[in-house]
Amino acid sequence: MHILSRNKWPIFIGLAPALVIYLLFAIVPIIISFYYSVMDWDGFTDMKFVGLENFREALTDPIFWSSLKNNLLVVAASVFGQIPIALFFALLLNRKLKGGKIFRTLGFMPVVISTVIISLVWGMMYNSRRGLFNKLLEAVGLENLAQNWLGDPKWAMISVCITMVWQFVGLYLIIFLAALQNIPQEIYEAAEIDGASEMKKTRYITLPMMRNSIIVAVILCISGSLRTFDLIYVMTSGGPGHSTEVLAMYMFDQTFSSTRYGYGSALSLFIFFFSLLLVYVSTLVLKRKET
Amino acid sequence: MEQTVYEKQSTISLHEKQLKVRKYSKKSIIYLLLVIYALVNAYPIFWMFLNSFKGNVEISQNPFGFPIQWVFENYKIAWETAKLNTYFFNSLIVSFVSVAITVFLGALASYFLARFTFRSGKIMYSFFIFGLLIPIHATLVPLFLLMKNLGLLNTHVGLILPYIAFNLPITIFILVSFMKSFPTEIEESAVMDGCGVFRIFWSIILPMTKPALATVVILNFIHCWNEFSFALVLLNDESLKTLPLGLANFAGQYTTNYGAQMAGLSLAIIPTIIIYLLMEEHLVKGMTAGAVKG
Repeated sequence: MHILSRNKWPIFIGLAPALVIYLLFAIVPIIISFYYSVMDWDGFTDMKFVGLENFREALTDPIFWSSLKNNLLVVAASVFGQIPIALFFALLLNRKLKGGKIFRTLGFMPVVISTVIISLVWGMMYNSRRGLFNKLLEAVGLENLAQNWLGDPKWAMISVCITMVWQFVGLYLIIFLAALQNIPQEIYEAAEIDGASEMKKTRYITLPMMRNSIIVAVILCISGSLRTFDLIYVMTSGGPGHSTEVLAMYMFDQTFSSTRYGYGSALSLFIFFFSLLLVYVSTLVLKRKET
Repeated sequence: MEQTVYEKQSTISLHEKQLKVRKYSKKSIIYLLLVIYALVNAYPIFWMFLNSFKGNVEISQNPFGFPIQWVFENYKIAWETAKLNTYFFNSLIVSFVSVAITVFLGALASYFLARFTFRSGKIMYSFFIFGLLIPIHATLVPLFLLMKNLGLLNTHVGLILPYIAFNLPITIFILVSFMKSFPTEIEESAVMDGCGVFRIFWSIILPMTKPALATVVILNFIHCWNEFSFALVLLNDESLKTLPLGLANFAGQYTTNYGAQMAGLSLAIIPTIIIYLLMEEHLVKGMTAGAVKG
């Protein structure tokens, strides 16, 4: 609105409060991380400058690497679990169906529920003695398949990943349904006249037309699952024996349980740069595909 | 296609009959798959809800069905003994204050970013949107230390401030794109009538933004209501803890009393589900806004 743009004061007054809070509590913390990351500090005694020692330590720390590996496992499970399942059910739902809305509503429900509640409910479902899964196996006579789902290092990571997939399929389902509704119907009508089967229509029309939303979903999925913390903290706290440790969890432990603020800050920065890098790379891929 | 099948019903041929059968069996397979999907989604919550009315013995003997003996005692334990009432009200206060401030400041900032052209406007907007990329866990340690230095550790204010900071980006993103769609003539006539900049915001732009405001309010509310990491790091005092934090605690303490645990979880989940069912459209729109725009 150019008439008013001569006077700058209202603009300043309008933007300042939001900007100040955002700067102080979202941007400044990242900047302070840099400062603490080159220090050795337990929060009480004097800080000691150690240069890049914290970063060097992280890179030679086996638990750092296993956390990173678990983080990537979570990303892989999310991308290859959530997205194909969501796509499949979006394609099923994208037709005139009685009660179609109920399936959408139920599908999205886990996305709005607090991760803490989901973790606690699934934690009980995985319980080795009274949990839903072992009870179900017992009921169908397969009790020899029962496991200590979260207590056994072999199964803990898989169990956590299953919960994560369950939690977020709905988000991608809705994104894909929105994308499906944007495909013009005329294309399908033309294909029908040519006698294309539903399989063929999906393969040659729907999927290519959804390519961009699928890529966006993949990016969202990667950056979302890299940040996993709440679920792991509540379900396993990284255990048993670091078998479900992820970067954010390890950072939390190092900072608040071992009170190593410097090392924790260095780990925070790793998470920050790692997320930015992955998002950057995925947007590059997206842009290249577009042209 | 569907219609032509019915129109020719009088002269139905064997081939068409087969087609119809195939169509129906296809539809039932689709329904079957969707019902399985819906069950997988809803059953864990339903299971929790059913078991919240059972005693410990019944949970292990009758894990799937309806309770034989309804134990309402569980809810009393959860609400009073486990102090869920305190956590519940803390969550309400923190969420309400955070949402009110975020939406008001976000709307004000969006108004200037969307309706005015000034040199740093574009940069400022990108700067806010950059916030969507910040992984909150990377800020936990520095925020903890910052709050400690400011003396805000272990206060609700210390929790509300980061909530506002981290909810502003998505708020501004949604509101700016909505406000940009209004025609410029609206303000022009208001200026002719002698309206000031803030008056235009309050009595013209804000009422017009109502649908987007509803989306933003609900989205932010759910974010604050469910938030765990900041609360975990910034709150230590039992009497200040929010619901997710309190629940995680409570579950740790009452590991042996499954029924009470599930009663607590059910209590915590009810407001979320009611809001979701009433405002589904807005909530879904808000949560997918960032994604659909890419």
